[in-house]
Amino acid sequence: MARVASGDEEAFRQLIERHQDRVYGTVVRMMGGAGPEAEEVAQDVFLRVWRSAGTFRGDGKFTTWLMSVTRNQIFTRVGRMKRRADIDAFDPVNAETGESMMENQPERAGLGPSDQLACKELEEAVTAACSQLPDNQRLVVHLRQYEGMEFEEIGQVTGLSLTAVKALMFRARETLKKKLSGYLTASN
Amino acid sequence: MGNQHSSPDQEGLGEGLGNLLGKAPPPRAPSWFAAKTLARLRQEKEEDQKTVSLWMRWRWVWAAGTAAVVAGWILWQKSEPHDPISDRAVFAALDALVEQDEENRWWAGL
Repeated sequence: MARVASGDEEAFRQLIERHQDRVYGTVVRMMGGAGPEAEEVAQDVFLRVWRSAGTFRGDGKFTTWLMSVTRNQIFTRVGRMKRRADIDAFDPVNAETGESMMENQPERAGLGPSDQLACKELEEAVTAACSQLPDNQRLVVHLRQYEGMEFEEIGQVTGLSLTAVKALMFRARETLKKKLSGYLTASN
Repeated sequence: MGNQHSSPDQEGLGEGLGNLLGKAPPPRAPSWFAAKTLARLRQEKEEDQKTVSLWMRWRWVWAAGTAAVVAGWILWQKSEPHDPISDRAVFAALDALVEQDEENRWWAGL
């Protein structure tokens, strides 16, 4: 980070490559789909990191700080989109290549066609269930489930107390259980 | 990534739901992401430099314009009448009016 703060572009490139999946994944989950808008927000996050690198104090974890920046950028953009009321017009297709960016999922090596189809259906169900959660609940679930963050860290990212974070997680769990009950019984 | 909580997590999503969500990880960043972000950074730097150089090139015009506005404002302030009418002068005028009115009434025999 010290190198990034001093304007070292090579260090910045390394930092992007190390954390791009984390940031991009969070943005996509929070914005309800991949696409040029999500990519732009993820880029905004890293450009903010570049400009604010000097303000990062080494006493906290970098990923916690990075996720705070990510959260701020997402909520700013989502708020703007809601005001423009064009959230329904969100196009999950790459504007340049015209390809669906949902295809950039981690590989499912060794699965047959029917298993891949089942996997895709499950992914869509999970994505749909998560996207129906309120923003704060969705963020808490994502940070806990996919980033493996502790509740204290999630509290730092979201600016909420430990109790509030746990309450959000509890509500999200109950909602997801209801929405994914069919898949839960099938997997058990 | 790949840092998923798949262990029993009583305060989190719980084992069943955690495993289910673990099967649907969020997408990875596209391969061009880092290159595109760096290109955007360079483009924004270039635009910032262009703005600064535009300011520098026209700095005498900006400075002259600002000076003209400030000078105009000062002159306008100076031309405004700044001596307020004192209370004493107002009361003296009112007294004179009342006195005149009383005199008129006396002559009219009222």
